[in-house]
Amino acid sequence: MTGLVGTAGTAGTLQVATATTAAPGSPATDEVVVAALSGLAAMGPARLCALLGAYSPTQAWAEVLAGRGASHPSLVCALGRNASELARTWARAAAAVDLEEVAQRHSAAGVRLRLLGRPGFPQRLAADPDPPQVLCLAGTDAAGSVPTVAIVGTRACTADGRETAFGLGRDLAAIGVAVVSGLARGIDGAAHAGALQADGGTPPIAVVATGLDVVYPRGHARLWAAVRERGLIMSEAPLGTRPERWRFPARNRLIAGLADVVVVVESHVTGGSLHTVDAALERAVPVLAVPGPVRSPASAGTNALLAERAIPCCGLDDILVALGLEGAVLRRPRPSGRRRPAPAEADGVVYEAVGWSPTSTETVLARTGLSPVTAAAALGRLCADGWIRAEGGWWSRTPEGGPGL
Amino acid sequence: MNATVPSATILGVEGLPVRVEVHVGVGLPGFMIVGQPDSTCREARDRVRAALQSSDLVWPPRRVTVNLAPSGTPKMGAGLDLPIAIALLVASEQLPPAAADGIAFVGELGLDGTIRSLPGLVSLADAITAPTLVVPAPCASEAQLVGRHRVHAVTTLAEVVSALRGLAPWPGPPPPAVAPAPQPAPDLCEVRGQHLARFALEVAAAGAHHLLFTGPPGAGKTMLARRLVGLLPPLTPAQALEVTRIHSAAGMMPARGGIMASPPFRSPHHSASAVALVGGGSATVRPGEVSMATNGILFLDEISEFPTTVLDHLRQPLEEGVIRICRAQTNVELPARFLLVAAMNPCRCGYGGAPGGCTCPPSERARAARRLSGPLLDRFDLRIQVGRPEVTDLLGGRPCEPSAAVATRVLAARQRAADRGVTTNARLPSEMLDVLAPLSAPARRLLEHRLRTGSLSARGLHRVRRVALTVADLAGHDGPLGDEHLCAAIEMRIEPMGLAAAS
Repeated sequence: MTGLVGTAGTAGTLQVATATTAAPGSPATDEVVVAALSGLAAMGPARLCALLGAYSPTQAWAEVLAGRGASHPSLVCALGRNASELARTWARAAAAVDLEEVAQRHSAAGVRLRLLGRPGFPQRLAADPDPPQVLCLAGTDAAGSVPTVAIVGTRACTADGRETAFGLGRDLAAIGVAVVSGLARGIDGAAHAGALQADGGTPPIAVVATGLDVVYPRGHARLWAAVRERGLIMSEAPLGTRPERWRFPARNRLIAGLADVVVVVESHVTGGSLHTVDAALERAVPVLAVPGPVRSPASAGTNALLAERAIPCCGLDDILVALGLEGAVLRRPRPSGRRRPAPAEADGVVYEAVGWSPTSTETVLARTGLSPVTAAAALGRLCADGWIRAEGGWWSRTPEGGPGL
Repeated sequence: MNATVPSATILGVEGLPVRVEVHVGVGLPGFMIVGQPDSTCREARDRVRAALQSSDLVWPPRRVTVNLAPSGTPKMGAGLDLPIAIALLVASEQLPPAAADGIAFVGELGLDGTIRSLPGLVSLADAITAPTLVVPAPCASEAQLVGRHRVHAVTTLAEVVSALRGLAPWPGPPPPAVAPAPQPAPDLCEVRGQHLARFALEVAAAGAHHLLFTGPPGAGKTMLARRLVGLLPPLTPAQALEVTRIHSAAGMMPARGGIMASPPFRSPHHSASAVALVGGGSATVRPGEVSMATNGILFLDEISEFPTTVLDHLRQPLEEGVIRICRAQTNVELPARFLLVAAMNPCRCGYGGAPGGCTCPPSERARAARRLSGPLLDRFDLRIQVGRPEVTDLLGGRPCEPSAAVATRVLAARQRAADRGVTTNARLPSEMLDVLAPLSAPARRLLEHRLRTGSLSARGLHRVRRVALTVADLAGHDGPLGDEHLCAAIEMRIEPMGLAAAS
């Protein structure tokens, strides 16, 4: 504190002085301080870990605020060459933060702050090799012993991938497995939507990269609220943190850390979900991949994973085997066994021409040699009867027995 | 001494009769033009003076006043040079008083007395009531299209003066206008595969439905669009004259003149400004691309690269068939009835068509989807996804139908529409749909299902029914519309990029 007194007079140091004198050393303040630290620009998990290894939370805040966040000898090697640059960035960001306001904001929003090593911190993440220093939690605390499956995949997914993720999420939740995902567009959101649809299903867990009040993507506001209401949503960043590019891979490691099994439904060759796969492999979490058409770019990453000996996931059973649950399933959903009328004879030719992967009308015309009017009529009938489905001018067969696997 | 000579000026594409009155009176030598001349027109003083002196005529050292009546409307361009010169010669008694009676003049003067051509001769000639018309030789074929006048084609002021003095005959009549040999439009048989897109072209030509192609680069969107001209029925004489008038007014006549008998095809680059597209300009109102494409095709390649503000200017012409340009001084209505054909890539990487095939980030795809405003997108009755052709189609494959065969069906379908009393099905008023295009029971069920599941909007309903009517016309189908016609119409109206489906 002597350093603080020496530089007293700037607004920033006064703020810290108030914060520290108001509740010196109280656990609540530590949590708020670490949360505030983790919300600073360029404060990645490794940097935060190094900082808190060198200082106590309150000290760390004071040092960061004074622009000396990088001066401790043990930090120099963790921060690398641009340490002084980082220290300036942090000091600038920290000067704009009012710790009391942070504390009030979290308590008003009903967001719980949990510090690593303190009671209430999720056990699985406490035991993680790269644990978060602080977690912001909202929603119901999941029961500790529930098996967890992460369903991840590309944001730019196909309708088939979306339905697969939806079906897996729904069926897993129905048999008592907590679905973990990132509430992103595409596969992630579909898995959560599926898990929420199961009646009396196990509540899903969402790990997001922004503050819990910053809905990203914005279109998922309703899903976001539903997960918070019926399940658990968590973030490493305090309220108000905007989406930043580096926070998403960091978030993915938490998804891997929370899961007993990771299932990748669809991924491009360079997809963000491959970060989750890497993190899962580091933690010896089994990785399953859903095979896809070889000509679908959205399945190129998952097919490559399978070639690298990921476990194929062709349905719920494969996941249960990976969880070691195959005998112990409590509530097994019954296959719906919906029967459909066979396509009429003339339409059968068109049905044959529509593949399992998206097929354009042009391809159907080329394969059947029918006139556009005749083919369109047949496609319309097949679509109305549920044999095929349309997606932006592309047709593909629907799996028999309803959507999902 | 006074003299009056009839002439005309142009406003948009319409000719406006003008009487050029010259008074040569007593006073300090001077020359004044009144009656709202624009700056080019005001400069006539210097051109006329030089041309007179170069032609061994006298510039009167008197007070000369030129009035362009009616004096309330603005006069544009240099076409009044020749009538001013002739009126001045009559007023200064260098020509006999009755020499120019019943003769109208149009032409720009060079300093050496040559007479130069000017745009819009078709409209100018149409506005002139005098029985005889003196025009620059290069424009004679345009002036003759109106067919009411005795047209004298002249090249110099001296030639005109000696003819008016009776010293020399008028130059021989210009050779009759020869329509330029129509360039053979590219033929549809050169397109391999693309069955759906070919059918869409046929429907677009038959019903004048606006058409949007989306697809990856190299799929042949531009190639297809350029072949639509060859499918359109030939212009009627009235349409041909309208097309020629507009091109003449814009100064875009083909080199050899004559009537433009084939539908125009305009394809402005995507850097076109709003004024270039819809017409306008500060001094003179020049017809834009939408007017030049009247009775033909406006092709906007890479439509998503056009600025959105420019594209939204198309909404009035698409809806009403005219574009009204209002400026402080002028208020002009230009025809703009065209068939809009557009092509675009679905997103920046170009492969966003197939589900899961796009490598763009979602924000990029959302941006690409916003490039076309909803109201504009809604004007496209036909929205077709064009894929890369199959390899087997490219190398050999079935021989494809030539344009002539398709054009025959198109003509027959247009005839069926004309028999119903509508020009084209795309212009069929919604309230007439139930009378002229009733639905069969399966078709009604299909529409109900589509509307209920949300795969068809209420806005799209009327457009789908119009397209279905054209499909039935092409098939020679009588009676209520069947479900196959509606299915084909719905099939050709896909939402570009399945972005709405992204969850």
